[in-house]
Amino acid sequence: MVNPVLLIIIPLTGAFAIPLFGFISKYISKYISLISTLVMAVIVGSLIPKVINNPIIVMIGGFKPPFGINLVVSPLSLFFVGVISLLGFLVSIYAIKYIDDGDIDKYHLLFLLFITGATGVVLTGDIFNLFVFFEILCISSYALVAYNRDKDGVEAGIKYLIQGSVGSAFILIGIALLYGLCGSLNMADIASQIHSVNSPLLSLSLFLFLTGFGIEAAIFPLNGWLPDAHSSAPSTISAVLSGFAIEIGLYAVLRIVCTVFGATDILHFLAGLGIFTLLIGEISAFKQDDIKRLLAYSSIGQIGLILFAFSLGSPEGVAGGLFHILSHALSKGLLFLAAGYMIYKAGSREIGKMKGLGTRMPVTSFCFLIGVFSLVGLPPFIGFPGKFIIIKSALSTNQGYFFVLVGAALLGTVIEISYFFKLLQNIFSKTGEDKVDEAPLSALIPIIIMALIILAVGVYPEIVSRFLHLASANFMDRMGYINNILGAL
Amino acid sequence: MRKVISFILIVIIAVGAFSSLREIPFGATKSRVREYYLDNGIKQTGATNIVTSVVVNYRGFDTLGEVTVLFLASIGLSAVLYRKKEERRKKRRESSLILYTGCRFLFPLILLFGSYIFIHGHLTPGGGFQGGAIIASGFLLTMLGCWGWEGINRNRFKITESLSGLAFVVVGLLGLLYGGYFLFNYLPKGIPNQLFSAGIIPLVYIAIGFKVGSEIAGIINDMVRSG
Amino acid sequence: MEFIENYLYYIASFGLILIGLYIMLVKDNLIKIIIGLSIIDTGVNILIISMGYLKKGTAPIFSRESLLPSRMVDPVPQALVLTAIVIGVAILALALTLAIVLYRHYGTLNVRKIRDLKW
Repeated sequence: MVNPVLLIIIPLTGAFAIPLFGFISKYISKYISLISTLVMAVIVGSLIPKVINNPIIVMIGGFKPPFGINLVVSPLSLFFVGVISLLGFLVSIYAIKYIDDGDIDKYHLLFLLFITGATGVVLTGDIFNLFVFFEILCISSYALVAYNRDKDGVEAGIKYLIQGSVGSAFILIGIALLYGLCGSLNMADIASQIHSVNSPLLSLSLFLFLTGFGIEAAIFPLNGWLPDAHSSAPSTISAVLSGFAIEIGLYAVLRIVCTVFGATDILHFLAGLGIFTLLIGEISAFKQDDIKRLLAYSSIGQIGLILFAFSLGSPEGVAGGLFHILSHALSKGLLFLAAGYMIYKAGSREIGKMKGLGTRMPVTSFCFLIGVFSLVGLPPFIGFPGKFIIIKSALSTNQGYFFVLVGAALLGTVIEISYFFKLLQNIFSKTGEDKVDEAPLSALIPIIIMALIILAVGVYPEIVSRFLHLASANFMDRMGYINNILGAL
Repeated sequence: MRKVISFILIVIIAVGAFSSLREIPFGATKSRVREYYLDNGIKQTGATNIVTSVVVNYRGFDTLGEVTVLFLASIGLSAVLYRKKEERRKKRRESSLILYTGCRFLFPLILLFGSYIFIHGHLTPGGGFQGGAIIASGFLLTMLGCWGWEGINRNRFKITESLSGLAFVVVGLLGLLYGGYFLFNYLPKGIPNQLFSAGIIPLVYIAIGFKVGSEIAGIINDMVRSG
Repeated sequence: MEFIENYLYYIASFGLILIGLYIMLVKDNLIKIIIGLSIIDTGVNILIISMGYLKKGTAPIFSRESLLPSRMVDPVPQALVLTAIVIGVAILALALTLAIVLYRHYGTLNVRKIRDLKW
């Protein structure tokens, strides 16, 4: 069996080795990031059968849990790492031709470290380790957003940095308070002691964690950085930022709230916040002229929906949320990647300038169409089972509060359909220019692969739904988590 | 107007925080892990400086992450400051003979002091990060005082960074091979309080010392040359 | 004032954090905002360290064989602060670099004027 530590070490070693290879040739770094993400995906595939019964617990350094750091490989973590490595691999193929300005090997180095940070956040079982890997994720995204060095990128980068680092400071204060109250840094250890400590400092600490991780997760009042950052970054980076970075921030929030604190009474508040975020995102997207800003606001909306799904508090709801994370990663990634070359060929980011692209770039526009349909939730595509499970589990809780929220979610979907319809109308309008000027092959391959996966999982959702139900049952089982780790003593 | 609202907000947070901070008594700890580390630290790791054994051995994964963060900052910096053509800096006047000689005299002494701190990390207070910062301050002194000297080649910093980072990861992977756990302490622990003791800890700290020193010196070099 | 004497470290660290937060909210110059961020980081580090203090404790180093482990302070917060300081330095370096490049593009460091990305 492959040791799961390699999931973190392989991209890290690739990143450390890139400057050495850079002395030979600048272009080797592209293949290093391709190979690293491919190897990660293969390892994830080989570990899936092993975690079905019990999560794998890896002790770093050989020291038992509260006294050493441990990694917890559960079905939920493997799901996230699978999404990360798949999306990372496809985006690296796209970046072979797309990134050709600036210092190329530094881009791939930053990208590999971004993947390392994201993997580390979902695999770890220790609060301070979570913070360190979360910082790796955030700092690499600050540098990647400003990678193009143009006016927009640097302004978006500094705004993101200032807000993100205030969030990190809050997380550190929360960790300090938790350590002062409970005396340990291991998530399972704190979870087992937390009910015996009652002090107002616990709620202060929970609030600080929510704010700190919530800035990265783009929950309502804390998402001012997102439209600028996701629209001014290079398109590959927008795809991964919307694809999994904000979802990982949301994972961190939920892990702290549900597993460490066990605070199920704030879930109603989180559900309301989620739907409010959804409405704000969709309404703001409606007025946009710039295609990447429109997609960025749509990401805010979808994160609100995922937060709502997770705060339903039932395994069915969590499974729906996970399904929606998969569908959002694939669809939004596809949309950003397709938009990358569409912007390049049209010369501008404005929707008005994109008339006629449907005939000039047929394959890209068709895949863009598939992406839009799947994001909105139409039947044969992957977005449909996700939204269906969420709405079904919300209705089955039989609480009027959730019925109202579901109504608001449906309203948000209607607004989403209307602005995407306007966008599609612009792209597919005929202007008489028939010259086909398609995107290069290295860009078409990942777009087509993503469209095929969207179609395949949409038609047969059973491929993933059994695994997702397993992952969600594992996530909701707090006492099982504690016993698994501390019982290994 | 913004000042007034911010001030009121800060006062509210202050009152709320101070009134609840009485809960944690200052000067008495409730930590379960503290006794374990203090009692078993020397036996399990061989280092007499318990903070070092916590940083490198018990929580070595955090240290790997931290080294990565600094590497990220250095790379992100040079990616954002990249310019297509190296523009010629304006020729500054050379520094005076006393300043130049003084800096050249102090520079190796500072490097020696920094190296002493990270080599003895497991015996005395200090360690890789502190020693690396001192080495970088030596480079800063030469950049500030010895104008007229072109400075160290940027490529040498890059090679040192990558090799030391790889050395840290390789030490951990060898632990995986020999002991079955990443970062397992597989070298002989020796007698406490001697220089050659504590297993992999001196190796890791030497790698970190070189890495941090060359990284921070590289960051300062980039910032000085860019503007 | 026994309250102040006992809890001096907590008051000082929270004071620094709140001063830093006030600077970040109110000031207009980007460099001052970055300095405010650095002050917040310093305050947080002092808070973490003071969580591990033992009254009349000594450093956790066994330089002589005869030192008692029960009189030593907690080594874990010191390890946490090592990491936190380095992360703070990295963020500060990146922020200052972005300020350099921003100055090249806009010619000013006043955050009220750097608002090209509209709503």
